[in-house]
Amino acid sequence: MSQSLRPYLTAVRYSLEAALTLTNFSSQEVERHNRPEIEVPNTSAELLLQPMHIARSETEQVLIEPSVNSVRISLMVKQADEIEQILVHKFTIFLEQRAEAFHILRRVPIKGYSISFLITNKHTESMKTGKLVDFIIEFMEEVDKEISEMKLFLNARARFVANEYLGEFVY
Amino acid sequence: MLHLQPSNLLIQKTFSEALEANGSGSPLTFDRIISDFDYTNFHVSNDPENRDLLLLSVRTKAWQSILTCDNGSQGVLPYLAAKYTKLPGITVAGSAEAGFDYTLCIDLSQLTSETIVQLSLLKTNIMSYPFFLAFQEFATLSTKNPTTTTVTVGRFNEETGNVSSIDVSSTLYTIQYRDNENMFIKPSNDRITVIFETFFQDETDKVFGKVFLQEFVDARKRNRDIQSAPQVIFSTEPPLELQNHLPKGNEVGDEASKRFITFVLFPRHFANEELQFKTVSQLILFRNYFHYHIKCSKAYMHSRMRYRVDTFVKVLNRAKVDEDEDESGGSNYETKRTITGRKMVY
Amino acid sequence: MSYLNNPAVVMDNGTGLTKLGFAGNDSPSWIFPTAIATSQGNSTASKKMTSNSTSGSNATGNGNPYFGNSTSATSFNNLNSSMLLSNNLAGKRGTEDLDFYIGNEALIASQGPSYSLSYPIKHGQVENWDHMERFWENSIFKYLRTEPEDHYFLLTEPPLNPPENREQVAEIFFESFNCAGLYIAVQAVLALAASWTSSKVTDRSLTGTVIDSGDGVTHVIPVAEGFVIGSAIKNIPIAGRDITLFIQQLLRERGEADTSLRTAERIKQEHCYVCPDIVKEFNKFDKNPDKFAQFIVENQEKTQKKVVDVGYERFLAPEIFFNPEIASSDFLTPLPTTVDHTIQACPIDVRKALYNNIVLSGGSTMFKDFGRRLQRDIKSIVNNRIAQSELLSGTKSTGVDVSVISHRKQRNAVWFGGSLLAQTAEFKSYCHTKQDYDEYGPEIVRNFSLFNMV
Repeated sequence: MSQSLRPYLTAVRYSLEAALTLTNFSSQEVERHNRPEIEVPNTSAELLLQPMHIARSETEQVLIEPSVNSVRISLMVKQADEIEQILVHKFTIFLEQRAEAFHILRRVPIKGYSISFLITNKHTESMKTGKLVDFIIEFMEEVDKEISEMKLFLNARARFVANEYLGEFVY
Repeated sequence: MLHLQPSNLLIQKTFSEALEANGSGSPLTFDRIISDFDYTNFHVSNDPENRDLLLLSVRTKAWQSILTCDNGSQGVLPYLAAKYTKLPGITVAGSAEAGFDYTLCIDLSQLTSETIVQLSLLKTNIMSYPFFLAFQEFATLSTKNPTTTTVTVGRFNEETGNVSSIDVSSTLYTIQYRDNENMFIKPSNDRITVIFETFFQDETDKVFGKVFLQEFVDARKRNRDIQSAPQVIFSTEPPLELQNHLPKGNEVGDEASKRFITFVLFPRHFANEELQFKTVSQLILFRNYFHYHIKCSKAYMHSRMRYRVDTFVKVLNRAKVDEDEDESGGSNYETKRTITGRKMVY
Repeated sequence: MSYLNNPAVVMDNGTGLTKLGFAGNDSPSWIFPTAIATSQGNSTASKKMTSNSTSGSNATGNGNPYFGNSTSATSFNNLNSSMLLSNNLAGKRGTEDLDFYIGNEALIASQGPSYSLSYPIKHGQVENWDHMERFWENSIFKYLRTEPEDHYFLLTEPPLNPPENREQVAEIFFESFNCAGLYIAVQAVLALAASWTSSKVTDRSLTGTVIDSGDGVTHVIPVAEGFVIGSAIKNIPIAGRDITLFIQQLLRERGEADTSLRTAERIKQEHCYVCPDIVKEFNKFDKNPDKFAQFIVENQEKTQKKVVDVGYERFLAPEIFFNPEIASSDFLTPLPTTVDHTIQACPIDVRKALYNNIVLSGGSTMFKDFGRRLQRDIKSIVNNRIAQSELLSGTKSTGVDVSVISHRKQRNAVWFGGSLLAQTAEFKSYCHTKQDYDEYGPEIVRNFSLFNMV
């Protein structure tokens, strides 16, 4: 783990722990509705808290938007070049396709970010907050690792394939 | 599977079946379509007049350009006829079946397994005709202008991939084998240059393709074992050989996203007929091989991602509060579990 | 021009067998087991043994008529190249995903130590997507030799396949393979379409009851206007394998010279038929010894011959569909009764049409007179019911026509139906294309418009 990654992840961890204090909250506007306040266009400012924006670099940022009963976490995954861009896109699409299994994954990321999570009070009631934070942190670590591994794989495979093809011409 | 085979497995299977059925006295009726890469289709059918004869017709996208590549003298017909009529049991149909480009008649009673292999190479053989012409032309050029004199003038610039030798031949064989992609063959006095246009419809493929093409270029430099392979050059601009031949002015849209990959064949790659066949069948399959492996990589990435999703879901499920834990906290005895983690019920 | 001329690819991946081919052909180009042999990664040991066992087993495969028949995939095997392949790839790290075989080659390769065999489809549904993706990859590039970008694909799915599975299929076909267009059809509907070749069928409707009997299980599936009535589907645990086992059991009891499963299977395929009445048939056999057949088993080198007598099992074996109690003690409902129950569970407005068009599909419905017997039995059930209701209500019924349709393409009915539909000019307009997929994502494949052939 590089020098600057640890403080970055620690900052995200503490911010998340602070943000994940959710409570059940019925909608003030629609009777008998209970909706994640962060997701609805809100007129009452008291329900939304100050969003937190943690950036490690231009390309690696986290946006945490807390509200009274839900938190939205959006990640920007490092995309150094064209290949990583495609890989990140493929990977996040693949994950979102399986959002059902992920409970807290948002099917569409918010604009400008690679992937978003939405944690509501329902989730914090059925899951341990600490473990949820662990998951997000682990996810952030793993995604970077996975992307660079896939990139390595692609290069290795391309090299292998090219070698084998040209090797057929060696007599 | 790493390499694609030049022969068509399904043609082999179909004719082996036909042969077997004929041998056992119950000939099969055929009316089958068989396909191959690059818009190539075969049709196997019975001759309407003679039940012992099978017709193998082929239609391929490249046919038109191959037919006319020798200034319209249609030399491919005698070329193929020479290749096939020497085999037992094969005759060339007088006219091709309607809707197809070329038809062979196969007499089942004389069919051998060697012939079947040759039949399955029909597409490769058709495509190899322009290469055959190029080899011939190379032979005449190299005797006229021995390599030694041109070494000084022929300067090869690896960075830009341009050949600045004085070109002694103005012929350029073009095989239009796909809608957006052509193959060009240019013989000169010391080498034969084969240029592929590549074009990607899919954004992902384009990026992956770039990585692959780059490796094709670098592979020879990196790996000592394949030093004697043809040199590969990659460029976004049409190489010099093509610049006089490509239609000018429509450099927009499709044209702009084209890449060019050049294989430089040296005499050692086509010294004798066997090598010629090997080289040509490899080159013909280049695009298919290359796209096949892009697809394989994507498939492999899918399986990686599936694995990743599983592990992520596992981590997330660890966060779930186990409902039983509260109950067991209240009771005096510990919950006993089996080795698989199931709870013992008393 | 290019897309127009290229035939669509029709793939029917079943639990046991995969049928691959091109639209417009009358039979699948390849039929082989839906099996994949993957390399076990770390096993670099005993390469020599692999090659020995491979060539050895391949020889048996070749010599054996059972494997050599036209429905078998690789009656000849490109042994050299495949050996080369495994040697090329073994020990090269990071390329394990290219080192595998499918179909009959998989069965052969798995006999060596370095490959393990698995069947990616269980109970009609894909279980292992990694393996399935690679299975398709090899089917397309090696066996069909097509560039998926240039072809439309028609795939099949079992009834009640969850839509998520369709999305996964689309993800693989559009993202990995970039196929030009995709249509996923329900197997039962294709089987109905295949029955249009029968001379008995006058109107090309997509309403009918499909009896699909393969190796493992028999389904009775009602289809109305191209939609499967899922709630009424019934399964019978009697199918081809049970018949084979029953024959084998009879052979063993008699102490025949050869009682292998393969012999039993060939007897089933070549000698069995359905009789109208078992008691009469027994009498016929006793009076007329010509009825007994003989089956000759040759060993590979054709040096030895064993003679196996074929007796009552000729008509007794298929009889277990109609009288299950002779072979099984768990499942006792005869097939005609199940068909009747299925149709009775459907909405009343389609029942007549369902009785009127009962379509057979799959290898285990190929017995001679199977359709005729089924039709007679169902008819008697229906007539009894009508008689009873006439008696109770005192009104006259207009009657119900029962007709069971059997046709020549029955064995690969699903594939053949797919081939019929995919060769029509409209097929491509029913497909979802790569452009659609890129624009809307995988959920587009949840809906396909139905073929309207009338």
